[in-house]
Parts: sequence; C-alpha cells; structure tokens
Amino acid sequence: MAGIHINNISKSYGAKSDMPAVSNMEINIPDNTFLTLLGPSGCGKTTTLRLIAGYLEPDSGEIRVNGRLLSAKGNVVPPERRGMGMVFQNYAVWPHKTVFENVAFGLMIRKTDKREMEKAVAEALAMVNLTGYEGRYPNELSGGQQQRVALARSLVVRPDILLLDEPLSNLDAKLRERMRGELKELQRRTGITFVYVTHDQAEALALSDQIAVIHEGKLQQLGRPVDVYVTPANRFVADFMGTVNMVRGEVANGQFACKDFTLSGVSAQTGAADLVVRPENIVLNAADAGLCHARVLDRVFLGNLCEYQIALASGATLRVQTHPLQLLDQGADVSLSIEANRCTFFAA
Amino acid sequence: MSATNTTAPSAPKEGATLRDLQGEIIKNAIFITTALAILILIVLPVGSLLIGSMRGEQGFSLDNFVEAVSSKLTRQALLNSLVLGGWTSFFSVIIGVPLAWAVSRANVPGKPLIYATATLSYLSPPFLTAIAFVGLLAPNSGLLNIFFRDVLQMPELTFNIFSMSGLVMVTTLHTFPFVFLLAASALKSVDASYEEAAQILGASKFRTALTISLPLVAPAILSGTLLAFVNAIALFGSQAIIGLPARIFTLPTRIYSLFDYPPEYGLASALSLLFVGITILALYLQRSFLARRSYVMVGGKGARPQLVNLGGWRWAVFAFCLAVTVVAIILPYAALIALSFSKSWGLNFWQNLTLDNYRFVLFEYDVTQRAIMNSLYLAIAAATFAVLIGAVVSWIDLRTTMPGRKLLDYAAIIPLGLPGIVMAVALIQFWLAMPLSLYGTLTILLLAYVGRYVPLAVRSANSSLRQVDATLEESARVLGASWGTTMREITLPLIRPGLFAGWLLVFVPVIQELSASILLFSSSSMTLAVAVYNLYETGQTERVAALAIINMVIISIAMLLANWLSKKAAGRSPSDPMGVSA
Repeated sequence: MAGIHINNISKSYGAKSDMPAVSNMEINIPDNTFLTLLGPSGCGKTTTLRLIAGYLEPDSGEIRVNGRLLSAKGNVVPPERRGMGMVFQNYAVWPHKTVFENVAFGLMIRKTDKREMEKAVAEALAMVNLTGYEGRYPNELSGGQQQRVALARSLVVRPDILLLDEPLSNLDAKLRERMRGELKELQRRTGITFVYVTHDQAEALALSDQIAVIHEGKLQQLGRPVDVYVTPANRFVADFMGTVNMVRGEVANGQFACKDFTLSGVSAQTGAADLVVRPENIVLNAADAGLCHARVLDRVFLGNLCEYQIALASGATLRVQTHPLQLLDQGADVSLSIEANRCTFFAA
Repeated sequence: MSATNTTAPSAPKEGATLRDLQGEIIKNAIFITTALAILILIVLPVGSLLIGSMRGEQGFSLDNFVEAVSSKLTRQALLNSLVLGGWTSFFSVIIGVPLAWAVSRANVPGKPLIYATATLSYLSPPFLTAIAFVGLLAPNSGLLNIFFRDVLQMPELTFNIFSMSGLVMVTTLHTFPFVFLLAASALKSVDASYEEAAQILGASKFRTALTISLPLVAPAILSGTLLAFVNAIALFGSQAIIGLPARIFTLPTRIYSLFDYPPEYGLASALSLLFVGITILALYLQRSFLARRSYVMVGGKGARPQLVNLGGWRWAVFAFCLAVTVVAIILPYAALIALSFSKSWGLNFWQNLTLDNYRFVLFEYDVTQRAIMNSLYLAIAAATFAVLIGAVVSWIDLRTTMPGRKLLDYAAIIPLGLPGIVMAVALIQFWLAMPLSLYGTLTILLLAYVGRYVPLAVRSANSSLRQVDATLEESARVLGASWGTTMREITLPLIRPGLFAGWLLVFVPVIQELSASILLFSSSSMTLAVAVYNLYETGQTERVAALAIINMVIISIAMLLANWLSKKAAGRSPSDPMGVSA
C-alpha cells in the first residue's frame, strides 16, 4: 500500500503566473487513508488531483509515493506508469465498449490470463453490485450504474491509490447517500488510499479520515473531519465547513467582551477578535439565566431541528439551532448561553 | 389562432379580420408556389428520369437497364468510377486523418495554414486543378516531367497524369477536406477523460489512441470518407480532362458521351439511375454512421484534451502538412499563373512572358465576357431562389401541421443523391417532353442549379429556424400581428444570418458548376466553367490558363464580396434572442 507526499507543489496555467492554480501545496497522505480535497470550485483541488495522477507537470515541488519520486518539473512519470486508479466526474465509461470490456481493459493492458481476467472482472462487478450487466453498453445503464462501472474498472487492477474526482456530483441525492456509504466501506475493506475531490462539505465530513481544505490554490487546513469542523484554522474554513455566527469583540484576561455579553473561560490572544460559534452551540433558555437577553425574530421548523433568527440588544443577529420540540414564538424574549470551549477566536 | 387574436381589446375588429384573411391568402399562395417549385425542380424531372429509363421501343421495358449492365463500355465506366471513388476515399483518409489529428491534438506549428489549405482545396474548382496538373505532369509537355527527364536525367521520376493514379491524385486534393473537417471536429469534441481513464489504467498514448480515441471518432471519419466518395465520383471536370485522354471512362463521362449524336436518352437515364443508386447507398451509410456519432458528444463537462507534445517530431508532421499545401495549392496555382503568362509552355517559359493570353481571352475570345455575366447572374439568382424555397420548406416542416409537409421536406433533399450530370439528364428528359422549349437557355441552367443545391439551403434554413423558438412567433400573433407581419418582423430577422450562410453555401458551388452545365449549355448560355472546359478542348493550354486565372479571380472576388455582404447583413440582425426581447 502507499502513502503520498505532496511536497511544496506549485502549478499555474499559461501566462497567468500571478494567480497560480496551486501554490506551495504540502500534504502528507498516510497509507490506507481516505483523504478528501475539499474546496469551492476553482480552488485548485482538481488540479492537485491531476498533479497526483500525472496528467499535469508541476512548476515546482515534487510528489512522491512511498519515497519514489513521481512528479517534479521536467520529470513526470506518465499516468500509465503510476499504477493508480481514477474515477472521473463524468464517469468516462467508454461508450463503445460493454461493461465487461470496460472493466477488463486494465487487465488486458496488463496481459492478464483470460480465465483470471474473467474471474477478476466478475469479482469487481460483484463488489459494486453489477453482476449480470456484463454485456450491456453504457447507454443502457443509469448514471449510478455507470458510476459503479467506473469504480469497478479502477478497482479491478488493484491499485494502491484511487483518485476520485467529484464522483458523486452527477447522482441524485438518494443515490449519492447510498454510494457514499459504499465508497467508505470499500475503502475500509480494501485498504486502498483514496484521494477524493469534492466541493460538498457534508460529503467530506461523512467520508474522510482526513480533510484538506483548499482555497485559492492554497492549503487552508489539514485534519480529521471533527478538527476541521470544530476547530477551524481560519475564517474561510469556519465558514466553508458550515453555518457560523461571527461576533466582533475584545479578548482580555481570559474573557471575550462584546457589546452584548462577556464570555469567560476564553484562552485566546489578547486583543480585538472575532468569536465564531456554530448555531447548534448556542443554547436558548426561556428562563433568565444566560449570557444576555435576545428576541426571537424568526423561526423555521426543519423537522429534525428548529432554526431561529435572534436579535441581541445591540441589534446584531445570530442563527441558532435547537431541538425541534423547543418551540419558541416569534417575538419571544429569551436568554442565550454559549460555552467558550465550543467557540473559536480569530484575531481581528 | 386567427379567431382569438381579434379579441384583443385594442385591435380594430373589422380590419383585423380582413387583414387576417388577406394574410391567409398570401401565406397559402407562398406555400403553394413553393410546393410547385419543388415539384417542377425535383420531383417531375426525377420522375421522368425513371420513366425515360423504362421506355423502350414499344412501351415499357427494362432494355435500357439490361444494356447498361451488359455493355462492356458501361460496365467498365461503372468499375472505373468505383475504383476512382475507392482510391480517392482511401487517400482522403490517409491525408485527412493525420492532418485532423495534428490540428486538434498535437502541438504542430502552422495550424491556420492547415485549415486554409483544406478550405482552399475544397473551394478550388476541381477542373482547374486538373488543368494545372496537366501543365505540370502531362507525359511529354508537363513541366515537372521535362525537368525530371531532361534536366535531372531521371526519367523514372516522371509521372503520367493521364492515368487512374493521376485522376485519383487530382480528385483527392478536392475530397480530403471532407475527411479532415469531420475528423478534426470529432477529435476536438471527444471528452478528454475517456483517454485519461485509459492512461491511468496503464495504456500508453499509442494504445489509447488505437483502442479509445480511434473507435470514438471512427463514425465521423467513415462519414467523411463516404462524402469524399460521393463527391469524387460525381466530378465531371477532372474525369473528362484527365480520364478521357487516358481512355478512362467513368459514369459522368460515359453519360456525357451518350449525348453525342445520336443521343441515347434511355440508356443515359438508366445509367443515371444506376449512378443515383450508388450515391444514395453511400449517403445512406454515411447517415447511419453519423447517427452513431452521438457518443462523441457525450462529454461537455469534461476537460478539453491536452495537446500531445511531439518534441522534434512536430517538425516532421509540419513538413507533411506543408507538403500537402504545396501539392494541393501552391503547385497548381503557380503552374496556372506561369502558364497564363507564357508564350509557349516549357522549361524556358519565363524568357518569353506575355500578356497576350489575357488579351485574347478577355477581348478576342467573344465567349468570355458573356460567360462571366451569365455565371454571376446564375449564381446570384440560383442562391436567392434556393434560399427562399429552403426557408419556406423548413418553415412549413417545423411550424405547421400541414399534411404532406414531411414529404415536401424529403423531396427537397433528394438532389443530395443526384450527381450534377444526372440532374442535367433528368431536366433534359423532362423538358424535352414539355411544350416549352427551354433547352439551351439560361433558364434551364437556373433550374438545374436551384434544384441541385436547394438541399443545402433547406438544411441551413432548417437549422437556424430550429434555434428560433416557436413561442417568439406565437407571442407576436397573440399581440395581433398577422402571419406576414410576424414573418417580416420576427422570424426573418432572426434567421437572417442562417439564410445568408445558406445563400453563400449555394453561391460558391454554382459559380463553378460544370457537371450539370456541360449538358445544358448553349453558346448563348455559356458559363465560366464551361468556357474554360471548351477552350481546354481546343488545346490552347496557355490561353486556358489565362481564362482559368480570370475565372479564379472572379470566383474569389465574388466569394469575398458575398462573404462580406453576408457578414454585414448578419451583423445587423440580433444574434441572441435576448436582444430581441429587449
């Protein structure tokens, strides 16, 4: 199995050297990991993936797999000699080949013995629940089935590394959810290192061992899903990973003070700072026992939770999520409490 | 609809009803005229071709077909046409596919040159190329042959243009662009991820090209090849100029010779039908290949293919492209220009340069000026009529539920399967039986041209009409506009760019048409292409070259002018539907 070392890689397209697609990217991906490259479109995540695959040549830096140098400027091992697998966003299932021919292609290139090939293809198709579809052409398959053909085609050659470029983005919501589970399970079972590109933070949280959040060609944060969500490294990560409330204030003597309240137990650098707190970490109490008072502006009942828009005395508004059965009326006077260890502080 | 729009509160009721009635009458008059035009231009002539071929001495008989198939001369002509078409298609692929790959997938320099070469090769009248190569490669007098034989003392390098190989070469120069253009656009639209997926699975670049890219673009290549085939076998000019001296008869030249006195109309009709059969079979195959092309379009979201870095090899590929340019464009045109200015053609032609040839063809050869005027008039008139008919036919097809509209549409594209000379045979058959004597007039040439090229106009009108949503017309009608007003204010302005494109598409081939004209002209209805061919038959090579150059200059000016006009006209009309609603 294989670990990937992305060492200070930069890449820009054409003459636009002022805005590189990827700059000074540094990621270590341990063996047997599900790593997700997460970021908004155009952030450089797909470029990073294509650099790993060898479709692109880096401008500087290097990529190594198990210590073996695969990519450096002027020295790129071509994709066909990397032994990786890749699943494309649009599946790229060859329309002129049957399901069997698609899956068997990599084995054919490797000159696998015919009987062995048939066995391996059958296994791969069984793994993605497509047994019985061998003779079909891609235009006779649904999107989800094509996606599985693409998966089986990549897995049948037993790669050490599987690269996936937004493989679920063209599927409908229900199928996406199911495929998510199957992908995760597949990674655990095979021990293959998955490098997964997506712009969907929920998908990244659900699937990954490690998430690399990328923005404007730069790595913003690398960590476990819970780290990235709970202790974001900067404002971008905080905002991209989910809804946040941001309150401007001042940190001094272990306390955060703003116009509306003072929060103690804070361990952050002294000075002007932003308090960042997710809606689910604010508690609303009907009783008069919290940081400060607030008024309910709006309530949206979402089934599994209730989302409130509340106004503080200064006029600032916060978003709060509560248990769905904690129903407060519009205009109700509430008090709110926040725990300092569930907040993040960024120096202003 | 005409009843509902009068209920608009602001519409004057009485007047609107009257206007509607008037509109309906005009509309129906236009429809009927168009249907009649299609009938007279296409259906009846083709019908009389059928009847003529089956009319024997005593009524109905298949004797003509029996003779067409059993006569050695005809069988040989048929065989020669197939051989010519086959080799021409083969070499069109050999030249067209590498060039297509080079422009769409490799970092070869000079891509605009390759496109320009393909376009010019396609636009050059094939009979002019043939004449030029006769000047270069005729066995005794061809300049290149003299050079190889007498100067280099290497007679093994000489080449006799009057041979099947020579004919194949000259024809290929005209037909390879069909393969090139279709293959290039297919190669460009194949989603890059198909190839990347093969690469990451371990397939080398070469293996990927062979097992993934080639099968994906094969339908497009095959389709281009069949178009090359159909066009190759239909070219009368080059087959007469190069084939006849070599005693190589092909279907067009054989049909042509059947009109020598005494004309054998029945046999000519039967042979024409055989010709049509081959053409239609090839076009049918072409369509079914093209239908399978659907999977080239699958992509869209995927990345564009990356250009292959050929390193030093790109200069080798570039040299190949350059060689094609030299053979297809530079050599023939240089030869024609040199010929046209020389007193006597030979290695020392440059010692006696003269303008005499031009003086002769322009002022002493009384045919030239008439031919120029005729050709210009015919091209403008034919393009205009064809576009008008094309617009109405496709409007009827797309916007009405009139019974028989599909039939009308099919009838209008029949001529795609008719080689030029067959069109001429059909018209002769039909008009000979009519009390009206049209033979040898400009009118019959005009009929031939409009009929032959109406499919191009129909197709371009059809595709631009498809882009104009029917609701744009309907909303005008709802506001109370009559049919005529809607057409004038909404539909025509929106499809005008498409109509101009169609106009050019007809104009360009008409001004250099020879295959049909050669059977239909008379001294008063002489056209440029026929004038060149006739002068060539008298053997005055230098003067022919001068006329050929004049011909090219007129064609070029006319095309540039038409192109400029259509751009100007297209520019005036809003290209996006949003602009209209604003």
